[in-house]
Amino acid sequence: MSGRTRAIVIVVVLLAVAIASRFFLYSGDPHVEVAAEKLFSIGGFHVTNALSTAIIVDILLVVLAWLATRNLQMVPRGLQNVLEIILEALYNLLKNISPKFINRAWPLVATLFLFVLASNWLGLLPGGSSIGPCKVKEHTAARLAVVQEGPRAGAIALIPAATEKHNPYTTCPEGTTLVPWLRPPSTDLNFTFAIGLLSFVFFQYWGFRTLGIGYLSKFFNLKGIMSFVGIIEFISELIKPVALALRLFGNIFAGEVLIAVLTFLVPLVLPMPIYGFELFVGFIQALVFALLTMAFLSIATTSHEGEHHGDEHAHGAEAAQSRAH
Amino acid sequence: MEGLNLIATALAIGLAAIGPGIGIGIIVAGALQAMGRNPEMENTLVTYMFIGIAFTEALAIFGLVISFMIAFGVIQ
Amino acid sequence: MEALGINLNLFLAQLINFGVVVGLLWVLLYKPVQKMLNDRTARIEASLREADQVKQQLAYAKRDYDAEIARARQEAAAIVAQAQDRAKAQEAEIIAQARREADRLREEARTQAAQERDQMLREAKGQIAELVTLTASRVLNAELKASGHDKLIAESLAALERRN
Repeated sequence: MSGRTRAIVIVVVLLAVAIASRFFLYSGDPHVEVAAEKLFSIGGFHVTNALSTAIIVDILLVVLAWLATRNLQMVPRGLQNVLEIILEALYNLLKNISPKFINRAWPLVATLFLFVLASNWLGLLPGGSSIGPCKVKEHTAARLAVVQEGPRAGAIALIPAATEKHNPYTTCPEGTTLVPWLRPPSTDLNFTFAIGLLSFVFFQYWGFRTLGIGYLSKFFNLKGIMSFVGIIEFISELIKPVALALRLFGNIFAGEVLIAVLTFLVPLVLPMPIYGFELFVGFIQALVFALLTMAFLSIATTSHEGEHHGDEHAHGAEAAQSRAH
Repeated sequence: MEGLNLIATALAIGLAAIGPGIGIGIIVAGALQAMGRNPEMENTLVTYMFIGIAFTEALAIFGLVISFMIAFGVIQ
Repeated sequence: MEALGINLNLFLAQLINFGVVVGLLWVLLYKPVQKMLNDRTARIEASLREADQVKQQLAYAKRDYDAEIARARQEAAAIVAQAQDRAKAQEAEIIAQARREADRLREEARTQAAQERDQMLREAKGQIAELVTLTASRVLNAELKASGHDKLIAESLAALERRN
């Protein structure tokens, strides 16, 4: 069989599998929920699936760390080696951005990376979004409202709200909906805003600590045109945590929705390359979160005069390079 | 209202994707050109390229989030 | 906000959760790994320094060894030269002794031979003289006088000697 025939056979088989899966593995309307769903409550505190997954990620990371470091070897092997390689590569990458603050930021930034990475990839586990308990939908529950039509129109009565179409392909009974056990914390705005805010507080704190009260003159000053630039910078500074949070949420949530929708359209073959792409996106977003925290820290701790010095250094380096050539 | 919601959803992400699409193209083009001229700087350039892409992409993500909000009835 | 799932309690829960993870990983992962990396760097540096030292020591040892070898070679050469000299001297002496011995033996043999010849000659002379006397006495018998007797003997002997 020549290479070309083989390729044609593979394509035909994949197409057949894709078309067949549309009929045999059809799973009904995709289940997409912007808010994390409640799983259970402890003393009035509702635990959502995103929070429980965050705790699973905690356990995973802590156990991994414990396994890797309980018996540290001079010559690393296995898990210790893997973690060392990851951490060392990340450390060197972040050191490029801000050599001065790397050691102070390291615990936070490295945890941001590891946690977000684990969280992003956990969402790609098969079954992660399709196994879970059946819950009565919050807003499908009956409520008091004005009856719009019928003989009792105008009266206040207990009526069922407009319900979502029931998905007959799940094992859940009518009126309930499947709540997946696993939901990556990155697809929960609470989590992304929490770490965005943490990162924001962190680099603001170091900005103040390094530049003192002069840090504020970056934003509020009376130096002609620079005062307007300062106001714009102030707004963009306030946008930073929101952008961090929404970037992570948007990327990962969009990935989940994409996979859900593609699985709804063609259950097999079509979502497969998307899984590979989402692995990449999950990694890049984790890296970008850590990189941006470091970059914002570097920007926050550089005064405008400092930037000037930086420029001079850059010119010096350029000159040195041209001399070398 | 449902039809308008759908149009708004599509427009939100569709329009938001135009600018960042062009922007990311420019960033990657610049980074690749720089890497081609100065291959030993590749590691640093890739880092900054990703930071730049993240900034640009954030705009599209804002649009995406708005479009999600409209689509799932968070804002009406 | 409610539809987005944003909820102050959940937000705080996630924040605290993440903070706890940062603390735990700091203690469990970053500190030991950083320490291990530093230790390893220190150890590698120490090993490199040690290796340099060993290399230097090796270079010294090699130099010493070379010097020793050179000296030994020189000494050996000297010893061989000395031995050769001595052997040559001994050889010369032995040859000289042998020559002397041979000379002595030859001389001895010569003198002995000369002596033997002299003796033989003397004996032969005596016998010849006797024979001549006898023959002469037989030929001449009594006709000869006692006075011409000895004279005749001396003449015969002189002729004989000349012939020899």
